[in-house]
Amino acid sequence: MQAFDCAIIGAGPAGMSAAITLAKSGACVAVLDQASRAGGQIYRASADSPLPDAHVLGADYTDGATLIAEFERVDITHITQADVWHIGDDGRILFSHFGDTRELHCREMLLCPGAMERPMPIPGWTLPGVMTAGAAQVMLKSDAMVAKGAVFAGSGPLLYLIVAQYLRLGVPVAAMVDTTPRQNYLAAAPLLPRAMRNLPMLKKGLDLLREIRASGVPVYRGATDLQVLGDTRAQGLRFTSASRSHDIAADTVFLHHGVQPNLNMTRAMDLTHRWNADQLCWQVDTDAFGQSSVPHVAVAGDGAGIIGADGARMAGRLAALNILHRLDLLPQEGLDRAAAPDLAALAAMSPFRAFIDRLYRPSDALRLPRDPDTLVCRCEEQTLAQLRTGFEQGARDPNALKMLTRCGMGPCQGRQCGHIVAGLLSDWRNEPPETVGYYRLRSPQRLLTLDELSRFHAIPAPTEATE
Amino acid sequence: MFQSLRKPERDRVTITVNGHPIEAIAGQSVWSAMALNGQTITRRAALSGEDRSAYCAMGVCFECLVEIDGLPNQQACLRRVTEGMAVTTQEITETTEATNAGL
Amino acid sequence: MKADVLIIGGGIQGCATAYHLARQGASVIVLEKDYVARHASGVNAGGVRLLGRDMAEVALSKASMEMWQTLSDELGHDTGFRRQGLVNIAVDETDLNTLRAREAKMRATGYTHERIIDRGELRERLPHVNPNCVGGVISELDGYAIPYQSTNAFRLAAERHGARIVEGEELLSLRRVGCSWLAQGSSTRFEADTVVNCAGAWADRIALMIGDNVPLSHAAPMLMITARMPHFVKPVVGAVSRQLSFKQFQNGTVLIGGGAKGFADRAAGSTRLDYAKLADAARTTAEFFPIMRRAAINRMWAGFEAYMPDNLPVIGPAVNAPRAFHAFGFSAHGFQMGPVVGQVMADLVLTGRSQFPLGPFRIDRYDRKVL
Ligand SMILES: Cc1cc2nc3c(=O)[nH]c(=O)nc-3n(C[C@H](O)[C@H](O)[C@H](O)COP(=O)(O)OP(=O)(O)OC[C@H]3O[C@@H](n4cnc5c(N)ncnc54)[C@H](O)[C@@H]3O)c2cc1C
Ligand SMILES: Cc1cc2nc3c(=O)[nH]c(=O)nc-3n(C[C@H](O)[C@H](O)[C@H](O)COP(=O)(O)OP(=O)(O)OC[C@H]3O[C@@H](n4cnc5c(N)ncnc54)[C@H](O)[C@@H]3O)c2cc1C
Ligand code: FES
Repeated sequence: MQAFDCAIIGAGPAGMSAAITLAKSGACVAVLDQASRAGGQIYRASADSPLPDAHVLGADYTDGATLIAEFERVDITHITQADVWHIGDDGRILFSHFGDTRELHCREMLLCPGAMERPMPIPGWTLPGVMTAGAAQVMLKSDAMVAKGAVFAGSGPLLYLIVAQYLRLGVPVAAMVDTTPRQNYLAAAPLLPRAMRNLPMLKKGLDLLREIRASGVPVYRGATDLQVLGDTRAQGLRFTSASRSHDIAADTVFLHHGVQPNLNMTRAMDLTHRWNADQLCWQVDTDAFGQSSVPHVAVAGDGAGIIGADGARMAGRLAALNILHRLDLLPQEGLDRAAAPDLAALAAMSPFRAFIDRLYRPSDALRLPRDPDTLVCRCEEQTLAQLRTGFEQGARDPNALKMLTRCGMGPCQGRQCGHIVAGLLSDWRNEPPETVGYYRLRSPQRLLTLDELSRFHAIPAPTEATE
Repeated sequence: MFQSLRKPERDRVTITVNGHPIEAIAGQSVWSAMALNGQTITRRAALSGEDRSAYCAMGVCFECLVEIDGLPNQQACLRRVTEGMAVTTQEITETTEATNAGL
Repeated sequence: MKADVLIIGGGIQGCATAYHLARQGASVIVLEKDYVARHASGVNAGGVRLLGRDMAEVALSKASMEMWQTLSDELGHDTGFRRQGLVNIAVDETDLNTLRAREAKMRATGYTHERIIDRGELRERLPHVNPNCVGGVISELDGYAIPYQSTNAFRLAAERHGARIVEGEELLSLRRVGCSWLAQGSSTRFEADTVVNCAGAWADRIALMIGDNVPLSHAAPMLMITARMPHFVKPVVGAVSRQLSFKQFQNGTVLIGGGAKGFADRAAGSTRLDYAKLADAARTTAEFFPIMRRAAINRMWAGFEAYMPDNLPVIGPAVNAPRAFHAFGFSAHGFQMGPVVGQVMADLVLTGRSQFPLGPFRIDRYDRKVL
């Protein structure tokens, strides 16, 4: 077992940027990621794309190769295919590595677990053939795999991006069903002037929409009442748009309405969390440098609250600077000086983020199921009606409801239903999400084979690492 | 229908999916190898036994659980194919009985 | 708020006591600082075990076991109880001798619910057991229930009979004034003729408020549960001389215990797990049941449990104050006792007597001992 100054979990833009900053100042750093190559979500396989020409995915994507190359050059210990299943606030990390559990220790730790997509519990969302738009991206980036004739439904930049990428590759798209609520345009309008300062970002978004419109793909706006058609697998999507009901036939339906932090890691560590009312999700509570309620644990990037890839790079660097300071490798003045540009840039980005958050805020009807038979917990197959019964039997806390109905007890460990259950309870109790709370989570952070655990022997830590 | 746009250069391996041999690219995800060969069902739902298939492709939904070389609960979207790998649909539901095979 | 009886603690003991009192017409308030079944009663291993009980507990445990068989019907809610039997496995002749000695002792007292089984019957009952095992002991009445569901079933039944359960309300202080107990909760004041201390791992603090000393300690036994497996074992399984304990629920998940303890920080209200010990439990399980190598562990946790030095609970009246009663210190096997303890406590409160000999459970049994 090894001891490090700092361990970083997640080699996306946040983790890579942090590692580079730390390594350049001489810190001894370990980076763990379950992927076989650095990159994270946005730059997944950017350095070794299986596509004949990755440029069709856009410059934001291919630019990632530069960061990856720099990351792979600096002197750090990058452990790939390391699936972290326990992070202790004592600085002890347990991870699966080719079927064995390994252990490392660190003084400081930086969690960069990134984001996942917000679940969209519409009737039929568990049918084979229904996937997320992010899944479409992952399949495209890492395996050059596409689904022909799919329908894309939801709202938000990531949805438009993947549709545009499909179109550039000549992959036929059945339709784009935009669920952005009409009133969002009005609500977001007052935020537009300040967002205009971030013109390039705004333009990027508009270009995507223009590209889709110009392609001739049918686009439906203000869609509501979404329902996946099909009994045993997806056969299409039904929805209402412009007061008319539409059925679009497709064997693949990609859903998306925004991303939210990957909570299980920060929750399992019992860090303090807060409800983000703008992004309608829980996030870990940190200071400007990502420092959490446990001083030697920092969180950066989308895993600490959605800020996008550029923001994640900045947040990663800021967290690294603070960690250098905590390691006595950077004096306070140096920290202040080095941090100023990224702090300013992050602040400058926030009006744009606020605009996007408001514009693409998902409707409650898509965030929380309405139909009593819709599954809320996919793993344990618990419907809205069953959860309501549990609530009426006295289970008013997410954990009590979990223990009564088994929602959140399946293999995904509540990743999919956590926000839905918390949202439903908040509605039913007529109390804010902060009062209602969230699932209590624990290690292992993913399924761990008993065989692997049975071969694990804890090695006593060397005294210097436990100081 | 899933389709591959992959540039045609990498090493090929053979795996079996529910007993049928299929060709795959070394390093490809198990899920994509299955899906490109028309095998999109990964597991049965725990109570109803209904078909399920990969949903997130990034390791956070656990819908893609398959059995790999006899070991259940493997995430097809995260695991990579290797030569000779045997992948089967995960059939375990609430009522599945164990056989004495494998003892 | 006023009631005849104020119960501190919404675990299974508190809820069962509330149920039995309310059923007989007493007005009852239960104070629970978190929510019902938040602690041991909701997160335990669900073992409903009569096998291997301390002789002092057998009578109570046996009566409780009979209650479990029909409890769901009585309470009107499913406790998840399944009578599957419990087998403790013997790995060698030494284990078998231990069992024979125990059996002789039980017989002499008139108990016949534990029966030694040979290698053949062991294989028949546990087809997947390691063939090296030589036999074991079985209790047919035993089984498991779903902890949260069971505790909540008592709660719902108590409420149906008029008991009031106040969640999120912590008892902060307690005074005896005249013929009343005055209780200060975190947001409300309560008044009652009688108090019952069912505060689990925090019960020593309530005992102190009542005026009784007790050498209670607390610890955090750990559990882990797997994703669903094909059904391979019906009875609950333990071992005579090894830390083995697991059961496969009807839904296919396998719960592994074994008594290993994590770290309990009562002040911080948190527990931490000891992964090396969990690894030991995994090893032992796989050794006895090779099929478990294919299991995938989904969750691991620990719960606060109250322990007495002799691993026997405190059940009975307070010694330094009138109209106060205790039921706590169940030392990791109190879930099974819940149904009978509720009845015993109701009897004590309403009649001052119980049909069971409670001598071994007196709160002052350590007053003169140096521990
Ligand atoms: C499916 C998906 C696709 C996206 N595509 C785009 C896009 O095309 N363009 C865009 O601008 N934004 C995209 N985003 C948004 C994206 O979150 C941010 O742009 C950016 O990637 C955030 O960077 P990060 O460093 O915070 O996290 P990420 O880039 O998400 O990196 C997190 C890393 O942590 C690793 N990890 C997580 N848990 C563990 C664990 N237990 N053990 C080991 N490693 C772990 C992951 O493997 C991952 O590499 C996407 C988001 C998702 C969910
Ligand atoms: C991991 C584990 C596994 C176990 N396995 C088994 C098993 O298989 N079989 C078995 O029979 N037993 C088992 N046990 C033991 C069993 O769970 C307990 O003995 C039993 O649940 C105790 O019930 P209780 O009501 O006394 O305590 P608890 O359930 O702990 O309830 C006490 C309640 O009092 C509340 N409280 C405390 N102080 C205050 C206050 N000041 N104001 C208001 N409320 C307060 C607490 O919040 C708590 O909810 C296990 C225990 C654990 C932890
Ligand atoms: S598809 Fe979601 S975990 Fe694999």
